[in-house]
Amino acid sequence: MDPTASSEAFATMAEAASTLVNPALQRWRDDGGRVIGFLCSMVPEELFMAAGLLPFRMRATGSTGTDLADAYFTNLNCSFPRHCLNLALEGEFEFLDGVVGINSCDHIRRLYDNWKRNVDTGFLHFISLPRQSGPDQIQWYTQECRMLRDALAESFAVEIKDDDVRAAIRLANQGRGLQRALYALRKQERPPINGEQALVIMVAGTAMPKEEYNALLSRLLTELDGVQGEGDYRARLMITGGILDDPAWVRAVESVGGLVVTDGTCFGARLMWQDIDEEAEDPLEALARYYLADRPSCPRLLDTQEKRTQFTVKMCRDFNCDGVLGEKMMFCDQWDVENYMLDMDLADEGIPFLRIDREYLTSATGQLKTRVQAFIESMGK
Amino acid sequence: MTTEEHRGIRSYKEDRERYAGFYALSQQSENPEIRVAGRLAKFVSEARDTILTAHEEGRPFVNNNYCTAPEITEAMDIPWLMLYEAPFMAVSVEGLSDQIDETGAMGLGTDLCTAIRSSIYYVEKDLVPVPSAVIGFIFPCDGMPMLHQVIKHSKTWGHIPMFCPDPPYFNDDRSIDYFANELKKMTAFLEKETGAKLDMDRLREVVEESDRQYLLWQEYNELRRAVPCPHGYGLGGPMCFAVSQMFKVGHKDGTEWFQNLVDLTEEKVEKGIGAVEKEKIRLFWFDIMPSGFIFEFMPWLEEEFGAVVVMDMFGNHPYTTIDTSDEQEIWRGLAKRGLFDTPMVRQAMGPAEGFVDDLVRIVKDYQIDVVVWPGHMGHKETQGTFGIMREACRELGVPFMDIRMDIFDRRYTTPDQIKDKFARFFAGIGVG
Repeated sequence: MDPTASSEAFATMAEAASTLVNPALQRWRDDGGRVIGFLCSMVPEELFMAAGLLPFRMRATGSTGTDLADAYFTNLNCSFPRHCLNLALEGEFEFLDGVVGINSCDHIRRLYDNWKRNVDTGFLHFISLPRQSGPDQIQWYTQECRMLRDALAESFAVEIKDDDVRAAIRLANQGRGLQRALYALRKQERPPINGEQALVIMVAGTAMPKEEYNALLSRLLTELDGVQGEGDYRARLMITGGILDDPAWVRAVESVGGLVVTDGTCFGARLMWQDIDEEAEDPLEALARYYLADRPSCPRLLDTQEKRTQFTVKMCRDFNCDGVLGEKMMFCDQWDVENYMLDMDLADEGIPFLRIDREYLTSATGQLKTRVQAFIESMGK
Repeated sequence: MTTEEHRGIRSYKEDRERYAGFYALSQQSENPEIRVAGRLAKFVSEARDTILTAHEEGRPFVNNNYCTAPEITEAMDIPWLMLYEAPFMAVSVEGLSDQIDETGAMGLGTDLCTAIRSSIYYVEKDLVPVPSAVIGFIFPCDGMPMLHQVIKHSKTWGHIPMFCPDPPYFNDDRSIDYFANELKKMTAFLEKETGAKLDMDRLREVVEESDRQYLLWQEYNELRRAVPCPHGYGLGGPMCFAVSQMFKVGHKDGTEWFQNLVDLTEEKVEKGIGAVEKEKIRLFWFDIMPSGFIFEFMPWLEEEFGAVVVMDMFGNHPYTTIDTSDEQEIWRGLAKRGLFDTPMVRQAMGPAEGFVDDLVRIVKDYQIDVVVWPGHMGHKETQGTFGIMREACRELGVPFMDIRMDIFDRRYTTPDQIKDKFARFFAGIGVG
């Protein structure tokens, strides 16, 4: 029996992951709280928390098309920003009091440019993200954090002290710790949750007040304690890649017998595998160090490929994975080349690897299922 | 026992001879424009020879780039090549389509920019002379850092020490200071890896000579404003870029070439002679020109419609000279030149305003009738600026034509399809 079926905590998170304006976010707004959307996991959301704002990781859940956005983007752009802009042009992001952009990829930075020109959002700010993660870049990013902090303080008329940032870091770390505890359950031979459910829980964490989320996740972990799943899978899989916020995609993978037990995505493990230093003298520098150097990075940062491969191999071994699915959004140059190298590296490690190009919306899943099925077959499972 | 010659060295030797041949042939022409254009082939041949000589003498040579201060390697007298040039030069090489297809077989996506795919191919297949050190060029798009990540990962170039100046996003003072510091670190890296030393007086000389080239280029571009435009796609533009930023950076030979070009053009403008007999449509080609197959449709455009490429992205001249009276200003000037003056980087790296500002300025300065956006499949950041550019053109009242092509692969949108698009577009706006 599915242990999440009767869980109220899980139901609340599932609602948060399947909508933009979930009840918790709505309550926050009803109480006068303000919400800031941010376009990439490299944005230090702790600064929004320190400013008393609710961070909302941008996604295009519920989008059905890109008709309006197609006037600004071409069909050679990633479908994630196209769907995001489309929803924005339809007025679906009116609940946001601000948006923070970043040059994390060519598509995302152009989403910001188009947003700035076409969507009326109160607060707009852009972060200049370095391409590397050495001492000079950490210093640069510390300054960027400082500039964001000051811009938030000015626009929202709040004071943001170092202690506020430290408190936000502690709260975010608490959530990360709970998420790691959730992932630890997935190491079991019969994990109590599947990959689809794990992604639901992770996505929910980017769309509701952290205190509330942490409380829900604590409750869920208690409910899952000692519970075993059905274990009727053929292969244990890891997913690596860029933005993946749609549990339906994982559902399709799992529907043919591949149980997703861990990942290296930016709505998954890369968000929380590491904590931010809570004791650092300068909390802004701690943020910069964490986002640039400490946490498992995406290919956006040069010189991180080897570390990322090591991370993938270790995760694979720790979670007893049979193979890795490398998902990539169409037209993403970063993950395209990353997967080219990862393919070679995993072959050296004897780990089967399947590359899958995808669009943001999970629509026709037939081909995906067939390919995963064939992958599992090829592993003799 | 003889050891087989490295394929990159072999190919550079072939290039040296081939371009020397082009040069010799061009100098037999009675047309002075062909002779000027032909000198570029001589410069390429000489650049190849510099690398080959260094190789034969066992001296270090490095990889550098047009936007990471080649003035510094010139001043340090370190021979340099540019890996990323390979796909641009290969557009005329037979078998390019096979090479592009092989990148797919290697496992690279067909939606990845062909210039990046091809550069990766050249590294993985060991087709370029192996430098002693690599100065990386990790902007303006997502593909460039990935190319350098592959270099580090590769069995062929992975052992080579690499330094990549880190690019900021905006063009404010803080960003320029940051990049200037990156260039200083780059210089220290070059000194360590090659044993050469930077003499600031020599750097000043190189920068001043390059400034003279830029001033002449500016003068040339002023002449291209003339109606009719003295040159079309065949002369000027990208050649100016290649001379000043790749093959004759801060060299008197390059300055002399610019002076010849200006003199010839002045004469033409004074006489009111245009690139075509009856210029009817002035085009702005807002990207790189597809040099491998441009001859398959541009002459047709000129003959059939009197349509002339008056300006293009690489012929665009936004350069500012550098204040050489102050050492720090030299560093800052080089930083600004690399990040915010050089073509493609200038437009593509920062916010979309970079595209729009240039577009508006050029349309006005050059009396442009049609903005042509080739929509190269690899330029994802430009794809995301499509609507913004189109709106800017509407505000200017100038038609905006988008082609959607691969500027390296003629099979993506064939020359015939391109012709068809032009014919329909011109008919649609009532000029065809």
